[in-house]
Amino acid sequence: MSLSYRIAYVFLRNLYSYKRFILPTFLVSLVEPLFYLVTFGVGMGAYMGAFGGRPYLHFLVPGVLASTAMMSSSFECLYGTFVKIVHEKVYDSLVATPVSADDAVAGDIAWGSFRGLVSGGLMMTVALAMGVAPAAAWRALVLVLFLVFIGVLFGSLAMIVTSISPSFDFFSYYTELVITPMLFFSGVFFPLDRFPGWMKALAEFLPLTHAVRVSRALFGGAAAPGLGWSLALLAAVAAAAFTVSVRMMRKRLIK
Amino acid sequence: MGILVRASGLTKKYGDLVAVDGIDFEIREGECFGFLGPNGAGKTTTVRMIHCVSPVTSGALTVGGMPSGIGNRALKKITGVIPQEIDLDNDLTVAENLIIFARFFDIGRREAKARLAELLRFVELEAKAGSKISELSTGMKRRLLIARALINRPRLIVADEPTTGLDPQARHLIWQRLRRLKSQGATLVLTTQYMEEAQQLCDRLVVMHQGRILKEGAPARLIEDEIGREVVEVRTPPEDDARIVGRLDSLGCAHERVGDTLYFYCRDGHGLMRKLLELDLPSILNRPATLEDVFLKLTGRGLHE
Repeated sequence: MSLSYRIAYVFLRNLYSYKRFILPTFLVSLVEPLFYLVTFGVGMGAYMGAFGGRPYLHFLVPGVLASTAMMSSSFECLYGTFVKIVHEKVYDSLVATPVSADDAVAGDIAWGSFRGLVSGGLMMTVALAMGVAPAAAWRALVLVLFLVFIGVLFGSLAMIVTSISPSFDFFSYYTELVITPMLFFSGVFFPLDRFPGWMKALAEFLPLTHAVRVSRALFGGAAAPGLGWSLALLAAVAAAAFTVSVRMMRKRLIK
Repeated sequence: MGILVRASGLTKKYGDLVAVDGIDFEIREGECFGFLGPNGAGKTTTVRMIHCVSPVTSGALTVGGMPSGIGNRALKKITGVIPQEIDLDNDLTVAENLIIFARFFDIGRREAKARLAELLRFVELEAKAGSKISELSTGMKRRLLIARALINRPRLIVADEPTTGLDPQARHLIWQRLRRLKSQGATLVLTTQYMEEAQQLCDRLVVMHQGRILKEGAPARLIEDEIGREVVEVRTPPEDDARIVGRLDSLGCAHERVGDTLYFYCRDGHGLMRKLLELDLPSILNRPATLEDVFLKLTGRGLHE
């Protein structure tokens, strides 16, 4: 792989272009989690009573945090990158400079991760306003790092889809058949332990399940069983997805 | 003058399609070298290999003594590319386009600002520094592409059909700028379908067709060798051909029938005209031979699509 510090230049380019979209994206990032937290957390939570000794909202927030980061980084690396390759030809001009195709892809994954972090941060401000916060300040810091990490993971996975996508429509397969089901089968909204065995087993194959598990542990403090395994798995998937995405994008970009 | 770019047996294949078929050429330091050819001749593919964005399938290609390759950042650093397609960053302003591009070449902020001012002046876009790209005309966009290609003070400038879609004023302005760059010592590699452009700018050129080089030389020399000095066009029905050609045998002119026109290529245009006038034909045109005649002779008159 031909990666260099020039990844930062690609990130900088995205930051420059972000100036023009910052307001609408902030609004979306604020409103979307607000829907989840108000409808599920407050509305549905009222029927659920205490959830492990605390209101349902406390269960919900760490899950929505992880899924928000997933959504943002995925969409950035699907639609955002696709536009830059096919419509805006940004990649064409990039690869004619000392910035390599690999740098460009890595820079866009980093950017997707950053967008996930921003969305997660905005969602957290909503959660804080509703009285849900991590158990300690250092936990908040580790959560930030964790969000960056899962942003890279889900951004890389999305980048693999982008590398073979002929058009926008193709992304629907991924968002409708992978991302959306993941949202409901990964323990974001309710614990997985009442699932039948085969569904539990299936859930273990979804990266979001592990991301939610770690996020919840970081939030609340109770060390959940299998946490080390989840982290190791996430790290392995992230490394593999990143490597594969860079290779496949290189194939798309260099002819 | 040294050789800056050297290719031997240069080949590019896309699957079974041979885009560039084992060509050899040398580009001298400080000259303007043109690749001329119809659509699909392999011009763009060739220059894309020169500026290291397309891998070489086989053969050798060196720039400044270094082998060209997509991972060769050192070569990309000394090359400026004026692309065929306008790929300016629409999310950024005119100034930001240049500033960000400067970063890609490791050029510091202060230096980038200085070059920005200088380059905007060079392409006469000072007044547009804060404009969005969508507010520029095509001519302005093409000029900005030139400025962007110069941000790293390149030793080698690759211009891939730099005036496509421009009006005559904008085209002449771009020619002026490219000639000035050459006079400042840069080596210029140009692809074009416009014969006038090639004649205006190129010291030497190759005519490409179907991935191969058909001819190489200075434009004036090529015209002289391939066509002669003058062309006479006679618009008559083909039935007259035998009669007309028979009368002109003694002059030794090459002739060609294309559609409704009979072409004569020769050195002694006056002699030919005198004889043709005796025939009292309805429509005759005598004009100097151009690169376009060479081009059509070499690549054929059929459509290339």
